[in-house]
Amino acid sequence: MEYNGGSVVAMIGKDCVAIASDLRLGQQSVGVAMNFEKVFPVNDKLYYGLPGLATDVYTLREQLRFRVNMYRMKEEREITPKTFTHLLSSTLYEKRFGPYFLEPVVAGLTTPTELEPKPKPFISTMDTIGCITTPKDFAVAGTAQDKLYGMAEGLWEPDLEPEDLFETISQTLLNAVDRDALSGWGAIVHVITHDKVITRQLRSRMD
Amino acid sequence: MNAVLQSLQPPARHTNEDEEDAWGYGNLDQRGGVRGMMVPRVPDPAAFLNLHTDSISSNPAAKIKLAHGTTTLAFRFKGGIIVAVDSRATAGSYIASGTVKKVIEINPYLLGTMAGGAADCQYWETYLGMQCRLHELRNKERISVAAASKILSNIVYQYKGMGLSMGTMICGWDKTGPALFYVDSDGSRLKGDLFSVGSGSTFAYGVLDQGYSYDLSDEEAQELGRRSIIAAGHRDAFSGNTCNLFHVRENGWEFIANYDVNELWYEYEAKKKAGASQAQAQKDEGMAVE
Amino acid sequence: MPVEGPSIGFDFSNYARNQFLGERMNGLPRATSTGTTIVGLKFGGGDTGEEEGICLGADTRATGGPIVADKNCEKIHYLAPHMRCCGAGTAADTEFVTNLISSNLELHAYSQGRPARVVTAMTMLKQYLFRYQGQVGAYLVLGGVDSTGAHLFTIHAHGSTDKLPYVTMGSGSMAAMAVFESSFKQHMTRKDAIDLVARAIRSGIFNDLGSGSNVDVSVITKNGTEMMRNYETPNERGIKSRNYKFRRGTTAWTKESIRSLIVSEEVKMTTGAGKTQDGVLDVPVPIGKGPGGEEGMDVDA
Repeated sequence: MEYNGGSVVAMIGKDCVAIASDLRLGQQSVGVAMNFEKVFPVNDKLYYGLPGLATDVYTLREQLRFRVNMYRMKEEREITPKTFTHLLSSTLYEKRFGPYFLEPVVAGLTTPTELEPKPKPFISTMDTIGCITTPKDFAVAGTAQDKLYGMAEGLWEPDLEPEDLFETISQTLLNAVDRDALSGWGAIVHVITHDKVITRQLRSRMD
Repeated sequence: MNAVLQSLQPPARHTNEDEEDAWGYGNLDQRGGVRGMMVPRVPDPAAFLNLHTDSISSNPAAKIKLAHGTTTLAFRFKGGIIVAVDSRATAGSYIASGTVKKVIEINPYLLGTMAGGAADCQYWETYLGMQCRLHELRNKERISVAAASKILSNIVYQYKGMGLSMGTMICGWDKTGPALFYVDSDGSRLKGDLFSVGSGSTFAYGVLDQGYSYDLSDEEAQELGRRSIIAAGHRDAFSGNTCNLFHVRENGWEFIANYDVNELWYEYEAKKKAGASQAQAQKDEGMAVE
Repeated sequence: MPVEGPSIGFDFSNYARNQFLGERMNGLPRATSTGTTIVGLKFGGGDTGEEEGICLGADTRATGGPIVADKNCEKIHYLAPHMRCCGAGTAADTEFVTNLISSNLELHAYSQGRPARVVTAMTMLKQYLFRYQGQVGAYLVLGGVDSTGAHLFTIHAHGSTDKLPYVTMGSGSMAAMAVFESSFKQHMTRKDAIDLVARAIRSGIFNDLGSGSNVDVSVITKNGTEMMRNYETPNERGIKSRNYKFRRGTTAWTKESIRSLIVSEEVKMTTGAGKTQDGVLDVPVPIGKGPGGEEGMDVDA
């Protein structure tokens, strides 16, 4: 965890979710890259973040790409955030006794179906061996986890509109990361709504 | 003979109870040591401290995390000495403070820098200030930088292996001109023209070495010191926040300014970009002429 | 190992690497654990006329080291329609072990043509846990009603089990047991049982730092199972009297990209196939001049 550094935060808003990460890739104390994104798309309305050991970020991302594609082909539909969370959880638990050093965060919107006409915005997070928690407010992970908890617990409020959610999640991340030596070096935020995904790179402290 | 031998002995490992009534200046004992400086009441204080504190970085799992991580630098040039430091203090990966004063003003002619244990540096360099003042009173002249740094070096050597952690540069101007000494808790004491200490020192050296010359002007030298700290603050996770810049001249030290590392970094980046596009424009112009 | 290989069960491939990484850094990352209070008791039966049943209870705090990872998690897991299982210990393990055994119990019920018995579930759990020698850190309270009556068990991670009329487990077990030891009576009414269980959990919530938040209760009788999620919420969060909503435009950003998910459709009239289209030159290609024509490709006569 502390080898490469990095943090991810996700928040629920009114008919939208946001997920953000820092951009630092380090080797212990030395920063080596400031464009290391830790948040990846699964489909239009589903993103997930993988803060932790960088080598495992790549391994798990490819593993998930494979499994999601298999799901897509077998089921002939897009995976929902909830199903994806369980897929991710089982993938992690498979390595119960030699886990990936990652604490994933999932954020997405479920497309309404006949069975579920009014789905709620969805976020979830897991520990390294796949224990799921599905909060109704925000999820945090990474080296700045403690600090993110503090910021988010104070700043988050229910039913934020996409633009307000952007400000809240950005300030949460930026200020948490400024108290963490191993996170920072730039930040990126994705706000997912039903008709668009807004991605913004933030101007942050670079020390 | 026995008395001589005894005075050469390191301080008692436990407490100095038997020396309670020994006389000295202020809180100093007979040998100029600090009276009542306690070490843990265990058979092996060094091992004990090593187990519970991460002061020597050998035990990252230690419960007591001391403030760590720094970039400090100082170099001698024709206009005196430039001292530049960052201001970040970390405990583990937590940034405990971004406004630490890592330059300790020992007296109007002497500066000490702080790396390693913040408390160790602060305490012993303040204590060094006392010793320097006593020297002035006794000898009616200012102490030389060499002598001052040796006092510090001798003190920390007495506590070698007990968990003291400091890497410091003693900078000042004396009869010999500008002088710069590196002193650390292992007992090293080195005279030199250019030093950088701390986790970000490698990055600072990188900038320092490519720009250093003894004949730098005051402005150039200050800019070099500043630029080096910004570079280290950027790359090193345990350095950053702000940069404090000092200039030591014949009539004592002067505090130049406090800079925000982040703001300066963006400034340098903007300059870099402007420079690059200018060079590109010139290149294009050259090609157009051809 | 191939990604989707034929092997099942755990994959130890990262074990050696992680051991090395753990030595070099600040130890291995902490898994979410349920510093927990879970309890269960048997009620009714005897000659009271009260229906025999099991009442289970749990708090809802999940911790990761000193941090509260989840303020309202569910620790009473479903095993079968007439069986529930409270989990303490490593959260992921309790979750996956109960899921696995639940799955196997359903298969067992299909193959035997009758609902599985509580002892069967207990045996399956203990055999699984014993196999992993305590490495799978699940500490469970299992309760249920079957054709042989109401049964209550505790199962430890190493595989040992107990069958008792009232049990507690987890870090708050002492606090909860103190309540049981002072107030438990044989053949209680359903209402008294629920009250006692809730009191035991509350004792854990307030006296044990590893437990907290709300009380979950589940009652199982032969007439069905009732799950009372958040039966008591003694730790309701205070209302913030002010808010920290930021003015839009507070955060400075350097780059933006918006991906529109609205698929716009537009019907464009074109002339049909075969008809001449504007701006399309119709150049006939003579035979033998097409691709391969130069080399004199043989066209079957």
